[in-house]
Amino acid sequence: MLSLRRPAITGRLLAQSVRRFYERFSAENTRDARGLRLLREWLTPAQWQQFEALGYFEVVGCDTGKRYRIYRGRMTNVYEIDDLGCLREGWCFVPFGFLTAGDVMLAQKIALETSESAALAVANRFLPRRQRAQGDVSWN
Amino acid sequence: MPTQIVMDHTGDSRTYFDARDVQARANAEARFKKLVARGFTAAVRTKAGEVTRVSAFDPNAEETLFFPRLVGG
Repeated sequence: MLSLRRPAITGRLLAQSVRRFYERFSAENTRDARGLRLLREWLTPAQWQQFEALGYFEVVGCDTGKRYRIYRGRMTNVYEIDDLGCLREGWCFVPFGFLTAGDVMLAQKIALETSESAALAVANRFLPRRQRAQGDVSWN
Repeated sequence: MPTQIVMDHTGDSRTYFDARDVQARANAEARFKKLVARGFTAAVRTKAGEVTRVSAFDPNAEETLFFPRLVGG
């Protein structure tokens, strides 16, 4: 019984955690704060709302129409998802250089939405982590 | 005012220019070409929030975002 209730609790805690994280950084002028602000400016309102509530946002690939979920993080944070929203396969690709998490996620979003095939061509595949596949998201 | 935003280790660097100023526009175009030649991807966004990749300089784009080439992680 306990294990069945766990994803809902974890989801709520995650949402609070994302909100706290954003509130803390949005008031600052650190590199991480600037990266998050830029991400917020460039995500659609629906994507930002999803990111704030769940710690990830979803995009649609421009070439295949497949859906991808981008979790907060700098790497191994992009997953292809099926029609039911289950994680299928991980795709690891990042912009070159030492960028903030916000910048990395934004580059991943733009790449999938505007040049999906090229992005996946350089990506390395990986299997979804069990925790994420079950909805229990951990932070990178 | 049109802005060029370049992702970098500081978060991002922004350069504003006056599209009516010929010299400023030429500098912005040169910056665009230099970044693209270095492998950066340039993207603009519409008012509706839709993002488009661009390969040519558009002096009328309100914001042009550049990010470094992608590599496998």
